[in-house]
Amino acid sequence: MGKTWREWLDVSAPRLLAYARARCNNAQEAEDLLQDALIKLWGYQEEREFRPPDLPLAFSVMRYLGLDYGRRKGRREKRDQKIIQFQRGDDHWLDLTLEETEEAELLRKEVDNLPEKLREVLTLKIWGGLTFAEIGKILKISHNTAASRYRYALEQLQKKLKHLQNIGNG
Amino acid sequence: MDNALKNLESKLEVMTPRGLSNEGRESSHQLIDQLVGESGLSAKDSSSGDVRWIETAAAAAIALSIGISGGWYLGKNKASSPDLVGDQTGDVAAFEYLDHEAWVLTKESPNVYVTKSGEIREISREVEVTKDVVEHRESGVVVTVETTDHHVVDGPKSDF
Repeated sequence: MGKTWREWLDVSAPRLLAYARARCNNAQEAEDLLQDALIKLWGYQEEREFRPPDLPLAFSVMRYLGLDYGRRKGRREKRDQKIIQFQRGDDHWLDLTLEETEEAELLRKEVDNLPEKLREVLTLKIWGGLTFAEIGKILKISHNTAASRYRYALEQLQKKLKHLQNIGNG
Repeated sequence: MDNALKNLESKLEVMTPRGLSNEGRESSHQLIDQLVGESGLSAKDSSSGDVRWIETAAAAAIALSIGISGGWYLGKNKASSPDLVGDQTGDVAAFEYLDHEAWVLTKESPNVYVTKSGEIREISREVEVTKDVVEHRESGVVVTVETTDHHVVDGPKSDF
């Protein structure tokens, strides 16, 4: 049983961590959140013969643990730590597998700068591999709203990239 | 979705989220072993679970590739989706959902437009209010979370 869960974790961890990073200040906190989620998920799966959970359930648990986490930490503390984190500048959660072009670097930065609600949907769709219906169920919004937020996130990124490219060319 | 956005989507998809650090992976595996040990599960229990997990993973991978290649709405409403946290009845749930309401505050008449590729679409703005009342199980604190979302609804026009 442990082996199946370890295999599940190795496959699913990057997706879950990508989502956790939207709610945590750094990689260490995201990993802590993932471990808390593992404990909850283990309990939930008891009635399902301890099978590793489906991803939507795992994302849902991460979301609620993240909400709880955010409430405990306090906004001010989070903000201050985030500033320190951004200043450090080496704590990326996305790897640019292709050549690290300037555009890709900008894109990665702008994903981090998206409003939370847009980034959440974008992360669940692109790196979580979920459908809009699944995202809607997790976030308690309609699948149309999830699709709209996703499109809006892409449009925001597109606008930022164009703006930055114009500045670069100008 | 126009080509520029599809292109952007492709650029995002090639970025890969990072996995656990070596230290995080090791401690997570130890945690799993601890959970298995505390549950008193033997190695024999895992054999049928292994097969189911592999089958599920394979099915999920196929569904995901179909979903990605098929477009926006393919694969919605999967019947096999499990219950979410709010629906869990186990005593390990951190929050209990007491109430959930969502309503649209204002919705304007959609504007119809034609894309360069000839597709007829409609676009409108709506204000959605969501109210969730949740109780934190450990502390007993009841919190009402009300959110207001302004978003653009853009989709193909289906009725004329």
